[in-house]
Amino acid sequence: MQRLRPRTRAALAAAGAAAGVAAAAALVWGGYQVPADLLAPTLVLDLAVGWSFIGVGLVAWRRRPDSRTGLLMVVLGFAWFARFAVAVDSRAGFVVGVLVGSVYLSVLVHLLATFPGGRVQDRTQRVLVTVGYLLSAPLDAVFLFVFGAQRQLGEGPPPNGLVIAPSNGEFDPSGVDLAVQAVVVVLFGSLLATVFTRWRAAGPAQRRSLTPGAVGAALIVGTILVERTAVLLLIPPAVGVALAWSAAVVLVVWPLALLLGLLRSQLDRSAVGPLIVELGAGLPVPERLRSALAATLHDPSLELAYWLPERRAFVDPAGAPVTVAPARGRAMTYLERDGAPIAVLVHDPVLAAEPELVAAVAAGAGLAVENDRLHAEVRSQLREVQASRARIVEAADGARRRVERDLHDGAQQRLVTVALALRLAHTQLGTATSAELAALLDEAGAELAGALAELRELARGIYPVLLTDAGLGPALDSLAERCPVPAVVAAVPARRWAEAVEQTCYFVVSEALANAVKHARASQVAVEVRETGGGLRVEVADDGAGGADAGGSGLRGLADRVATLGGELTVRSPRGGGTRVVGTVPCA
Amino acid sequence: MTPRVVIVDDHAPFRSLARRLLGAGGFSVVGEAADGAGALAVVRDLTPDVVLLDVQLPGPDGFAVAEVLAREPDAPVVVLVSSRALLDYGSRVAASTARGFIAKADLSGETLQDVIRGPGRPVPCSG
Repeated sequence: MQRLRPRTRAALAAAGAAAGVAAAAALVWGGYQVPADLLAPTLVLDLAVGWSFIGVGLVAWRRRPDSRTGLLMVVLGFAWFARFAVAVDSRAGFVVGVLVGSVYLSVLVHLLATFPGGRVQDRTQRVLVTVGYLLSAPLDAVFLFVFGAQRQLGEGPPPNGLVIAPSNGEFDPSGVDLAVQAVVVVLFGSLLATVFTRWRAAGPAQRRSLTPGAVGAALIVGTILVERTAVLLLIPPAVGVALAWSAAVVLVVWPLALLLGLLRSQLDRSAVGPLIVELGAGLPVPERLRSALAATLHDPSLELAYWLPERRAFVDPAGAPVTVAPARGRAMTYLERDGAPIAVLVHDPVLAAEPELVAAVAAGAGLAVENDRLHAEVRSQLREVQASRARIVEAADGARRRVERDLHDGAQQRLVTVALALRLAHTQLGTATSAELAALLDEAGAELAGALAELRELARGIYPVLLTDAGLGPALDSLAERCPVPAVVAAVPARRWAEAVEQTCYFVVSEALANAVKHARASQVAVEVRETGGGLRVEVADDGAGGADAGGSGLRGLADRVATLGGELTVRSPRGGGTRVVGTVPCA
Repeated sequence: MTPRVVIVDDHAPFRSLARRLLGAGGFSVVGEAADGAGALAVVRDLTPDVVLLDVQLPGPDGFAVAEVLAREPDAPVVVLVSSRALLDYGSRVAASTARGFIAKADLSGETLQDVIRGPGRPVPCSG
């Protein structure tokens, strides 16, 4: 819907006023005889209905240009006045009057079915609106041109029920009349049902904008239903007269109810002041800001998540990570500060139609949100530190278990065999040949050499002494030489860094190499160490199978280890595309 | 008659040396296996008198294998061996279906003989 320009609005208002005057003139001087006691009430009520729809419609159109409801209200007002063409005692007046006589009802159906957006949104609405329009002008055209409806010339009140009065002739509805009335009753019945269903399915925020219109709609449709069923049930229309009058009275007020629904959010903005007062009243508690916002926006389902730029993730007020993704039946509003997102509100989609309200609330809560976000960030960091502390202890225990197992399965096993070989040699001293004894001693010697080699390897794994003695470069070269997969270490800057930095970089490379051999089945690995502005960057890239799990215990442990120095570990491991592990460690 | 022994251990050099040691110590080693499943097959095939069973086996450990063997008809006497010490296993050896325990470094015909004769610990009924 485009915005209503002031000039167009003035023109429409003038046209509306003129249409009302023309309708009144047609009724008074059109040529039919309106009973004197009915003229004044008819004039007052009809002008009130028409002008109410046009006037209030123009206001609604201006205030809520996103909704088509204002436009439909204006159209309804004009259609209401257009009916009065039938009061002009001429063939042309009769034809036009009959053709447009019930268009206002079609527009009413359209309005009711699509309130408050004014746009057809699903199949039910489309069917209702279409049937509504088919029942007016097209059906009246059929009556006019096929059944040849005739006007009664110059005698009595204007035709087509323009003036609400008991009919003076015989009441004898035809079968076609009854069928049409039945369709109208079904149409309005289903309309009432859909309005109720929509209202019941709506969240509290949406209900606030639906309720005033829906209550008015129920009144109008209810009256029309009773009125039409009265005809259908062959109750003389004298009873219907009162009902018709009351329907018209409700029609005068209903536009205001619609407007109230549309502008609810603007009335709600007055609640932002109390919100700010409430937020200023005490220390932030995780749940308090959310519930204050939910109360102000009338959406108890409202969720609040804070953006942590460093972790590039959303967390809830308690600091736990949450996934924020578009979901069916939910809308999202991002709150920004200095152009950067700080939080997101996940809320009832109806609030998306009221961006001014959400913006006002967000602005009012801005400081509190920023404050709470910092709290959430601290809570989130605390969670992370607690988790990593637990993982580090676990990793240390795991490492000790591995050392015990390696000792037992390797060196100890071999030393046992040496002991047994020596005992066997001892028992055979007198009986065996010296060649047999020599073979047995060779066997013992080989096992002993194996045990020594394994012990050396184990000790080196526990702590690489070369790293302390000669620095990162020689230690990485030695690591690469012992790696079963060809590993190339690009020139490492020949200087020393803090012990913790060197150790961390060494273990990043050693773990990544072990993974390349064990899991990735790589055929070659490249290791690179570079000094960056504020620290040291190690990169290990293999050409293996990829698909490494950065959350697995090995890489997770490395990430924890790097994080203790304030560094960061990133792992890129697309399936089939090799693995690239990059650790950056800040150092002075 | 020399007792017939099966050696179960995943470390081949140990099996080879134990075979020669026990052979020299008055036993006849009739078969070897490297794990629990192999042990069951060999025991069913050969019905030995004694099974020398390593505790630290790949798959089910020595205690579990001993329990399975105890349910066999003509269940052999099971003696657990390990490169760890008896102390490392707490009361698990005493609670097991095995006759006794020998640290690998102490293995000889004599020590095996002692354990088999032993203090006469009753073999739990295998039903």
